[in-house]
Amino acid sequence: MATVNQTEQAHQISVSILRQGAYLIASIHAALDDEELGRFQRDLIRQITKSRSRGVIIDVGALDVLDSFGSCTLRNLALMARLQGAVTVIVGIQPDVAFAMVHLGIHLEDVHTALGLEEGLARLDELTGAGGARSARGSA
Amino acid sequence: MGIEALADRQLTGGLAELPALIRRVVASRIRDANAIDDLVQETLARVMTAQARLDDSALAPYAVVVARNLLSAQWRQDVRFKQHAHRLIDLTDASRPEDQVLQREESRAVASALAQLPEGERQTLIAHEVEGQATSDLAAKSGSTAGAVAAQLHRTRAKLRVEYLLALERTRLPTERCRPVLLSLSGGERRRQRELDAAGHLLECPECAGLSGPLLDRLDGHPEGEEAIIAVRSDRDVVRARQRGREIAAQIDFSSTDLTLIATAISEVVRNIVRFADHGQLRVRVIEDAARRGLLIVARDVGPGIPDVDRALRDGYSTYGGLGIGLPGVRRLMDEFSIASELGKGTTITMAKWVHA
Ligand SMILES: [Zn+2]
Repeated sequence: MATVNQTEQAHQISVSILRQGAYLIASIHAALDDEELGRFQRDLIRQITKSRSRGVIIDVGALDVLDSFGSCTLRNLALMARLQGAVTVIVGIQPDVAFAMVHLGIHLEDVHTALGLEEGLARLDELTGAGGARSARGSA
Repeated sequence: MGIEALADRQLTGGLAELPALIRRVVASRIRDANAIDDLVQETLARVMTAQARLDDSALAPYAVVVARNLLSAQWRQDVRFKQHAHRLIDLTDASRPEDQVLQREESRAVASALAQLPEGERQTLIAHEVEGQATSDLAAKSGSTAGAVAAQLHRTRAKLRVEYLLALERTRLPTERCRPVLLSLSGGERRRQRELDAAGHLLECPECAGLSGPLLDRLDGHPEGEEAIIAVRSDRDVVRARQRGREIAAQIDFSSTDLTLIATAISEVVRNIVRFADHGQLRVRVIEDAARRGLLIVARDVGPGIPDVDRALRDGYSTYGGLGIGLPGVRRLMDEFSIASELGKGTTITMAKWVHA
């Protein structure tokens, strides 16, 4: 689809979406404004549908702020992915960022989180019951 | 002062009635509705910037004084613009010799102000500000404590500001009360302001009223102290504003956690402007008081205002927050936080964070 490719090119510096087996790994590399965040959300959902992914990792390690709007977008994303049959794990939330979120009153308890990419993938295996499929890691 | 106590003070301290009061003062002098809104918001922003140094009883009188000053400045600007609009290019050239005269005037005023200080205070100030000696070294020399030296320096600076302004403006103070009132304003000594009835004096003494603006609405003589002013119109400005705010905050010794809390708070208030108001502005700058440095953030918008500020500050209530988090969360991120809002006109949020030793 031409439109998807164009959008991907337009902000490939800020975000990337890679496919790894039945999973998608989406990374946010720079602070996104609301419009970019919305586009990222649409692109990711489209990719999930297209590739029939069972799990999604969103790596937010590069974000220095997760405000109420950003958190809300992530939560919605996880919900929409769920409706497409994919489980979402958010990884890489910086300790300072998490601290600020708690003070702000943001709770992500309905969203899965993990420390880093490795832990996130292990978590996905667990949640999708795909432990055996990833022999290198073994079942959790 | 705890956050709760501070917020209570703002909300019950008559701040809620300030916007209406300011509007009455401004509307009695100009007709243009947009200009009135701008002046009311500008006055509010200045009063809230100064409020940490003002006794509650002085807030309303100071607001009236600021509004009057802004009105006359606006009026003068309009007249000057009309007079000179046809030769703007000449004006830019002519401004250079004027600048030089201004600089000469300023150094004369500094010298004269320094001469007014007691010898000991002058030497300590110069040792600290010019020679860069730490307060702890100065304390060791004089057998005092760093805290006491810092407090004394604060009082000396307050005195210096008053004398400097008097010399610069060549003001002759009409009454005996004038100098003590100006000193109490300059030093932010609230108890002294009450004792002297500084509020009442401001309203009856045009000389002190004229000087109160520069004394209270100041960039705290901080060498790196720059003020960032960010116009807020679209969601792009949310990211821009918090990045700029973080840069300014990084100039002083905030921990990385505090920098994140500050950036998050800015992100929230600026997003509120984008979502709920037409446009607005964010100002960020380094401030200092007797013993510590901090960051002052003033966000103001031209928008619908908040119908019930008390409720908007309660958790779980989201008139202004939309996302259900809103202002109570932001207040928890900062050390000081206050709001003034005028229905149908706009909102000004002032918040500060101090560097914790
Ligand atoms: Zn006076």
